[in-house]
This record gives sequence, structure tokens and C-alpha cells, in this order.
Amino acid sequence: MPALSLRSLARATSLPAGGTAEPLEDIRGIATITGVGETAVSGPSGRDPRQMALEAVAAAIADAGLQPQDIDGLMVSGHIADQITPDDFHRHFGTLGPLWFSTEGGAMIWAATCAHEAAMAMRARRATHIVNVFAVDWATRRAAGTGTPGDWHAGEDMKAHLEVPLGWYPQPVYFATFARRYMHEYQLTEAQLAAIPLTFRRHANGHPGAVMRDRGLTLEAYLARPPLAGPLRREDCCLISDGAAAWVMSPSERAADMPRIPIHIDGVGHGRIAGAPYISQQLDLTATPQVFAAPWAYAMAETAPAEVDVIAVYDCFSSTALMQIEDLGFCRKGEGGSFVQEDRLHYARTRRQGGIPCNTHGGLLSHGYLLGASHVVELVRQLRGSAANQVTDAQRAVYAGFTADEAATLVLSRGGA
Amino acid sequence: MNGPDLDHPLAGPFWSAAARKELQVTWCAACDRAVWYPRPHCPHCDGNLHWRRLSGEASLISWCEVAGGLNPQFREAYTCALVSPLEAPDIRIVMRVTENTTPALRCDMPGRVDFVYLQQTNGAPYLAPAFTPYA
Ligand SMILES: [Zn+2]
Repeated sequence: MPALSLRSLARATSLPAGGTAEPLEDIRGIATITGVGETAVSGPSGRDPRQMALEAVAAAIADAGLQPQDIDGLMVSGHIADQITPDDFHRHFGTLGPLWFSTEGGAMIWAATCAHEAAMAMRARRATHIVNVFAVDWATRRAAGTGTPGDWHAGEDMKAHLEVPLGWYPQPVYFATFARRYMHEYQLTEAQLAAIPLTFRRHANGHPGAVMRDRGLTLEAYLARPPLAGPLRREDCCLISDGAAAWVMSPSERAADMPRIPIHIDGVGHGRIAGAPYISQQLDLTATPQVFAAPWAYAMAETAPAEVDVIAVYDCFSSTALMQIEDLGFCRKGEGGSFVQEDRLHYARTRRQGGIPCNTHGGLLSHGYLLGASHVVELVRQLRGSAANQVTDAQRAVYAGFTADEAATLVLSRGGA
Repeated sequence: MNGPDLDHPLAGPFWSAAARKELQVTWCAACDRAVWYPRPHCPHCDGNLHWRRLSGEASLISWCEVAGGLNPQFREAYTCALVSPLEAPDIRIVMRVTENTTPALRCDMPGRVDFVYLQQTNGAPYLAPAFTPYA
């Protein structure tokens, strides 16, 4: 199919004020996810992040039916410490060949944008089979007192000097403040918001790899919990976990000859707020930069929310998930609180039944905090038809990545078997 | 760091003013608008910025009740907020909320900026702005 020009993508993309979209070139039809792999996800485990990353990479390569020497591209996070290097890869797998390397991979927004970067590398013939991997040991680090997810925020110059001394820190405080504002503007109740942690917990209860697989949660128990950062409770906040996840991206023309059902990369979007990274100043506190990212991804994929069967959103907080479900276009701004009722996010309520299955592995709230990397692995399994909480006839999926000041969107679809 | 840095090139004057119980933000004379957070030049016209004292009249944009123990720098529970000054409704200043206030907090309620002493773990006390709702 003919590629869409940047101009036609921009024309198809109408954005609200307060942020911008990256002008990402059309990469539809180039790349396909051909293998996924992950380690166990857990609380403090003492596992080394590089060892976890290599374990996930090995699993993804095997899942794709490839050998380590077939891999000639490696993407990792340039923002989270202790990711693997090409030397680590070669040493572990005993390989020697050239390895295109990018630190624009990993999780969060990069779990979406890495697909664009990989497709561009394939188009330029810099690499063929590219593996993206993300590993994190924040559960171990937090238990040992050697690091927390708040470290970046505490170290950023203006946040360190004009937020931290006033107590606007760590992240639950930011998103509780925004959630309170949302409750004011749109009359969201705490019992409505509870639908998000409750549904994700039920998904985790049906997913053998989820950290919270054995822990139930009722509305009564949720409402009885004290606020951690009011109006948010601990159940509204992500877990802190150890683990790794990886996936192999291959040229689409080769994917047909590979063992797994090809999962096509159809669209990528990337947006950011004006004045990033200072989210306290963002124009609309009740929205996320997903409003700047999603339209571009839909335009590239030539699709729309009505054609999406399953989503995975970066649910660092329940309220952030709620806002992104709106910002992805599944309901109107302000209607999220009522939209997420009646099991609309549950895997068993399909699109045809008016639902949008969301975070079917349990999400960051109840599966594990791999910062979105497990979200993409879960969507691949959904589209292959091999998920634990399988959505009936899932053909198209969307991942929504988030860092707070930036968001990214990845549209995937199931290829011919 | 366990307290504000009065010598910080961008943020220091905010804290020096707070120590005198004054609320100041950076202002662009050419655009006649507040620029927050402080930066070397105006993002709109690239002009110079100066610090301007504000009246302290403000409205509460939103707030968060932080449970004791969540923030290791402050052991006890507290409430912090995003507050827009009357003279610059487009910016939001991070503040505390004055303790034991009546009436109950609600978004967009008017109030004034007072100053309260805060103290971080292993740090010295310092004056910081706090929103006090009008009764
Ligand atoms: Zn100016």
C-alpha cells in the first residue's frame, strides 16, 4: 500500500491545545512482532536486571523460532539503569556478528516508539531481526533502600527546588492531585474509580504470571482502605516489581515464514505536553498527552477506536488509566467514570458488547510493574489467541505508553495465520 | 538536599522571598505575564525575566492529602496543592495547605497565601507558602 506522507498524517490528526505530536513517518507494513518472552514477575527477588533481560531475550528469540545469531538489532532503555549492552548480548549468547544498537527502546513510551525506530532501521537495512528488551529490579532496590521510581523526579532541577521542598512528591502525589481535579470537573466518585483496580485485579486473578494472582479485591475492601495520597488508595497505585520482558521485531515479508502468527505494527504516535517535563503546568490537568499521541497512530494505521478489540494502558495509577481510556477515544472526556462500569474493561465483555477489554493481564496495578513492557507482550498473546484471559476474536490492539509529560500509542493487528 | 537552596540561580529568589513571607514569581515585562517555572529567558519572546511580588490572593486548583510515611522527607501526614495566583491564573504554584482549615477544601475556592515553617528529615526549618481558604 502507498505510504502516507507526513503532511497527510498531520492533516488527519487534529490535536487539542497544550501539546504536540512528533511527526513520525509512516512505517505501516514494514515490521511485525514475531516473538515474545518474559521472566517471572515478582516482588523483591535479588535477581540481577541484566540476567533477567538476557533470560527474556532468550525466550523471545526461541518464541520467534530464531537463533541468537539471527538477531542483528538490540534495543534497550536509555533511561533506566542496568540494561544490557551489545557486549552483554554477545558474551551471553556466544555470538559475534554486527548488532545495531539503540537506547530508544525499553518500556513506558518507548515500548511503543521502539516499534517505529525498529521499522525505520529495517527500512534503512541497518538490521533485520531486532529485539527490544526491558528489565527492572525496583522491588529489590526499594527493599534494599538503593533506589526508587521517584529518583528521576527528585533529581530534576526545577522539581527538586520548587516541588520537593513543598512536599509535592513522589508520583502518587502528582496523580492524586490531578485525580482530585478530575473528580471536581466531572463528578467522578471513588466507587466509580474503583472499577479500574477491581477489574484489573480480576484479570490478574486469572493470569498465572500476575503478582496478585492469588489476592482478591472487593469494592467494600477497596473503599475501606485509607487514602495513601488522597483521593488515591494503595490499590490505585502500581506495584513495584522485578522482572523483564522482550519481543522480536522482524520484517513483515519474512514473518509469514516464521512459526508464530505475525502481529503487524500498523501505527505509532508520540506526543508531549507544552512545557515538558513540568506536568504541574500542563494546560489540562484532567487529560494525558495521549491526546497528542493517539490520533497520529490511528491515522498511520488508518483505523479508529471503534475497530480496536483490546487495549493495554500504562496504569501507573487508576486515574491515569481512566484518563488515557478517554484520551484514546473510547469515550468522551469526562465520561470515563461511567464508561468503566458494568465490566466494560473486563476481557469477557467484547467490543461487540460495548466493552473495551483493558489490561487483561492485570496491568501495572495487579500484574507487575514492568513499566508497560508486559502490556505489549500481553497484547501480542491476545492477538495470537493464546492469552490467559482471552478476548474472543481479538484482531486489533492498542498499547498506550506514558511517562507523565509524554505519551505514545502503538497499534497492532493480527496477520493471516 | 534537605531544604530549599537560596543560592539556586533560578529558584533561589522564590525561597528568599518566602523567608520574608512574600510570594514572588518570575515575570516577563515585555509579555506582561508570569513565566513559571523560572527559566533564563521568556519562552514566548526570549526577553529577560524579573521577579515580581504578588498579592497572595489565589485560588485552589487541586490538592492531595499525603499519608504519613509516603514521602520520606516529611514523616507526618500533610496536604499540598496546586495554587493559581490572582495576578497569574495560568500558572500553578506548588504549595502546602494551611493545617486545620475550615471550610472544607474544594477546587477553585478562593484564599490567600500564608507562610508556614516546614522541615525535612535532617534539615533546618524554612518558611514555605501555604494556601489558606477564605472562611
Ligand atoms: Zn516574554
